[in-house]
Amino acid sequence: MEANIEKKTQITSKTKEAYFTATQTQLVKTRFFKNKSAMIAGSVLIFLIFLGLFSDFLSPYDPTIAGRDKQYENGAPQIPKFWDENGFSFRPFLYTQTKFRSAETNFRWVYKEDREKRRYVHFFVKGWEYRVFDFSINLPGNALDFKVPGFKMNRHLFGMDKGGIHLFGTDKAGKDIFGRTLAAIYISLAVGTLGVFISFVLSLIIGGISGYYGGWIDGVLQMFTDAVRTVPPIPLFMCLAAFAPLEWSSELRFFFISCLLGLINWPTLARRVRTHLLAERSQEYVLAAQLCGASSSHIIGRHLLPSFTSYIIVDLVISFPYMLLAETALSFIGLGLREPVNSLGVLLQNATAADVLLNYQWYFIPVIFLVVLILSFVFVGDGLRDAADPHKITNK
Amino acid sequence: MINFIQFTLTRFFLAIITLLIVCFIVFSLMELVPGTCAERYLAFKNTQGSQITYEDIEAEKVRLGLDKPFLYRYGKWVTDIAFKGEFGNSCILRMNINELLSGRFSLSLIISITALLLSYLIAIPVGIISATTKYKVVDESLKFISYLGIALPNFLVALCIMLFMTYFYGDTMTGLFSEEFENVPWSADRVKDFLSRAWLPIFVLGWNATAFALQTVRALMLDENDKLYVMAARARGISGMSLLWRYPAKHSLGPVINSIGFDLNRIFSALPIVALILILTEAGALLIEALARSNDQQLAGAIIFLLTATIVFVNFITDLILAIMDPRVRKGVMGGS
Repeated sequence: MEANIEKKTQITSKTKEAYFTATQTQLVKTRFFKNKSAMIAGSVLIFLIFLGLFSDFLSPYDPTIAGRDKQYENGAPQIPKFWDENGFSFRPFLYTQTKFRSAETNFRWVYKEDREKRRYVHFFVKGWEYRVFDFSINLPGNALDFKVPGFKMNRHLFGMDKGGIHLFGTDKAGKDIFGRTLAAIYISLAVGTLGVFISFVLSLIIGGISGYYGGWIDGVLQMFTDAVRTVPPIPLFMCLAAFAPLEWSSELRFFFISCLLGLINWPTLARRVRTHLLAERSQEYVLAAQLCGASSSHIIGRHLLPSFTSYIIVDLVISFPYMLLAETALSFIGLGLREPVNSLGVLLQNATAADVLLNYQWYFIPVIFLVVLILSFVFVGDGLRDAADPHKITNK
Repeated sequence: MINFIQFTLTRFFLAIITLLIVCFIVFSLMELVPGTCAERYLAFKNTQGSQITYEDIEAEKVRLGLDKPFLYRYGKWVTDIAFKGEFGNSCILRMNINELLSGRFSLSLIISITALLLSYLIAIPVGIISATTKYKVVDESLKFISYLGIALPNFLVALCIMLFMTYFYGDTMTGLFSEEFENVPWSADRVKDFLSRAWLPIFVLGWNATAFALQTVRALMLDENDKLYVMAARARGISGMSLLWRYPAKHSLGPVINSIGFDLNRIFSALPIVALILILTEAGALLIEALARSNDQQLAGAIIFLLTATIVFVNFITDLILAIMDPRVRKGVMGGS
């Protein structure tokens, strides 16, 4: 009995010791891994990012107009089957569909499937050509152009022996919605990342100056930041986005919109950086380092920055869904990204026509991805915030 | 009392400075648009068949005062708004902006502020329940709903409801008035008609704000609930609702009042897109039209200025309310012990 109790106290003291000697990153990690909803959201998020990154490989058809399927416009989703009344097949299959219209169908094109003619799904097939690891910046003028060609590939995860497969159906031009959705996830994430990065740099500079110098510089900068914060962001976005001339190329537009997202989102972040800096600057460990004769670059690099990187990362993750939402809202009203670029906002815009709801409900599939993407970001951000919060030390 | 007046004056002064900075941002944006008002006006005349020369443009510029330097025009724009309440003319619609906005802007205000009130009416009690409930399921599901409130943008909710209505009732429920009341002066019937239609935009606008307010209230209540003074009150035998209302809820009210301005900001932010989808005839929809369709920067600037001025005003009022209500702030403001 007594030995048992001793053992228990030993265990608790061991966990306590592990707890007190753990680094901050370890603490954050343990707390985050314990948060079940954040973990689920995290895995969903990683899955979605994976879908976006490998969209070219995963989608059997080019998501632009080049990959349209003229034989299957406004077509319903095609789900491969393994079994029907004609027997079982290890290889998933679809039926052959033919297009026809008559007075019966109100002269709308309708697809009829021929259950006798099966088409089979093949894996790792050759298809449209795409580039892997390519990266290019193409702005007006030649100074900033930058190109990594990457290498060409034409293998895709799956495809058909004949005809097409459209898991999420096709839109009115015959573009594959599955491929478009994956490409849109990639583009939306890229816009968001670029926007977050720009606002991060801006907020580091402005918040850093404000927090490091304090005094009247801080006062003036804060007043300016607060003024920017009071303007409703989306109307301000729209006002700025209206500058973009219609004849701009889609890449330039993409870059411009990302910059806008970054430009408008910085005040909140800058305020946090400033608050962190102000709070940390007067901490005793900074004073101790100063008394030991450490240079200010050493103090900033070794003590101040590590003390709040985790909070900054958390803030960045939290601001991500708002970037995505802002992009969606802008594209939705036609001031953001435009076709032929696939972004979640552009796809959402396609889903607003009245006959879509009545006849082509599969246009809404990208919307589900948007909501899931944002939800998972919000959950992960919240979990990270809870994990990084030093005041939320749970009793051990 | 003197301290309080001093506090009010300082806050007022700060609000004015904020407004001036906002004016500057908005005015610079208006200026940055390629092409001046004179050029556009004459370009319009050109399409009507009259020949335009370079001298005509210059003369038009002088007439509109566009030959003066930037800072002078900025000063004129600000003083016109401040002392005359004049926003000038829209150079695309060739109409007085005040006339265009009268009625429409107040409609926007009514809808937005009702949405704000509604969201607080829902969020405060539900947030308290979520923070203090013994049942984890209730808290978790309320948390999930509030996250959904963030992840589902207002315009998506608006779209879904509208499509749902079209599908099942055959009426889109769009617009703020039915056809017969669209262009008539206010009357009892018109108010009734307005109410029967306005609930949808109010709900949609309140949707996001409720989610945010819910999270604020919940976090504050959780924070306060662990504090020592609440424990002390519990030890004295106070429990249940009376404990909640007397101690933690009262204390977390301050930050909630503080957040009103930002919630209004969020609602205004969502207003134009919601207005576009639900075809509301108010200032938000006009803003989108001015930006996306006609590129009318004068009108857009005026609307953005009015929205921001409302937020600045609300922030000013909430600061005063806080100073009167919260003894901690009051002490800081009034001084003394």
